[in-house]
Amino acid sequence: MTILGIESSCDETAVALVSYASGRFSVLRDLVASQAKIHAKYGGVVPEVAARNHSMALIPLIKKALGKKRPDVLAVTSGPGLITSLLVGVQTAKTLSYLWKKPMIGVNHIEGHLYANFVSEQAIRFPAVVLIVSGGHTELLLMKGHGRYELLGSTRDDAAGEAFDKGAKILGLGYPGGPALSRLAQQGDASRYPFPRPMLDVPGFEFSYSGLKTSLLYRVLEMKKKRIQFTNRVIADLCAGYQDAIVDILVSKTARALRAHSVHSLICGGGVMANSELRKRLSGLLADSFPGVSLYYPSPRLCTDNAVMIAAAGAFHAIKKMPRMDAWKKIDVSAQWELAAKKQSV
Amino acid sequence: MNDDRRKHVVWIQKGEKLEEHTTASAQETMAIAKQFAKTLHGGEVLALSGDLGAGKTTFVKGLALGLGITSPITSPTFVLMKVYVACISLCHIDCYRLSSQEDLLAIGADEYMGKQGVVTALEWSRRVKGLLPKDAIEISLEIL
Repeated sequence: MTILGIESSCDETAVALVSYASGRFSVLRDLVASQAKIHAKYGGVVPEVAARNHSMALIPLIKKALGKKRPDVLAVTSGPGLITSLLVGVQTAKTLSYLWKKPMIGVNHIEGHLYANFVSEQAIRFPAVVLIVSGGHTELLLMKGHGRYELLGSTRDDAAGEAFDKGAKILGLGYPGGPALSRLAQQGDASRYPFPRPMLDVPGFEFSYSGLKTSLLYRVLEMKKKRIQFTNRVIADLCAGYQDAIVDILVSKTARALRAHSVHSLICGGGVMANSELRKRLSGLLADSFPGVSLYYPSPRLCTDNAVMIAAAGAFHAIKKMPRMDAWKKIDVSAQWELAAKKQSV
Repeated sequence: MNDDRRKHVVWIQKGEKLEEHTTASAQETMAIAKQFAKTLHGGEVLALSGDLGAGKTTFVKGLALGLGITSPITSPTFVLMKVYVACISLCHIDCYRLSSQEDLLAIGADEYMGKQGVVTALEWSRRVKGLLPKDAIEISLEIL
């Protein structure tokens, strides 16, 4: 079975062609219309990109991915995300589904991040705790089987990735500067500028990162008032302290989820999982406190938004139940689609 | 949510009328917004301004409560725009990542902005000043 994956939920336009045979995935094509160059030119993300550029980039990408081939199934991100961007991908997929008479599946973007893990590893055991952390999402789920989820908790305000990016902006590292902040943090001393851990004393699995960003701002304003020099050392220490707080909250809440639910696996995904400190701390957590739980996270390439993960999630839906040829009629964008609200989304 | 105890000032400018509120916490800022929401009928465009951490998202959370929206209001920075459907719907736009006014149209904001039954709240609205209606209500937040 070959699956064409299409992802256009936010800034990236991505198309992938994946084949699934005898329990194994092969990635045949993995294309992203890179806006990195555009971004660099403007010194930030230019999400004009968001809707208009998706529509320009998508068809050429699909042509490039397929050549003369036709997939057996189409999988497209139909939510959550920016409604106008989602529409470009979904309408394109619907049209192709109708023209080619190939069934189509609407995939949840969060589910895609989680299924990025299954591209190289299919033998992941359930139940599992799932941690998805990106620029737009921070959530913990309980996964009981393929397509069976329960939401444990999500962020009440900003996502963890957003906390990285906005923190970087406050520290003058540009926007989005999350990766730059993490790099500097590696050279810093996290104990010099401690930051609060919002929500740790609140029971449950919810996150809050907006207040952390604010405390960084206040700290910086106070230091400026005292005329403290922002040397490289000071900035690195601030980055380390700030990152430590973000990571600590993620790890602590994950630990709480693992204590509350007896599971075999911890499955992680999303752009923030490319952060080496977070990977290290999660590995340490399992080694120290949950030795029976296996940790999974995708390669850095598959952590960020891509279409391979959408195709992989689509494949699992198709294996469970192949959609009808006219499934496209019923697929619509859902900008605020909560994965757990759709318990049997297959 | 901001659980800080810093003082904030909230200015609400509706036409010629300027209201000023000083609040002692994020909770109080939310309460002001909630009260303010009760005066809205749909179709209003709220132009929010204030620095990172000044309480813009906190204000919008209060606004949503006042409009009877029960789902959590999360940051729209990443996806640029979130729409919450209710009797009076809330369209929450973040212009932080937008570089020009045209970008606002490219994300389809004109489908919601100023439409009947929709209150539109724009954060970092100064970046798209030319597209705001003349009767936009200006809300400025500042940390004291």
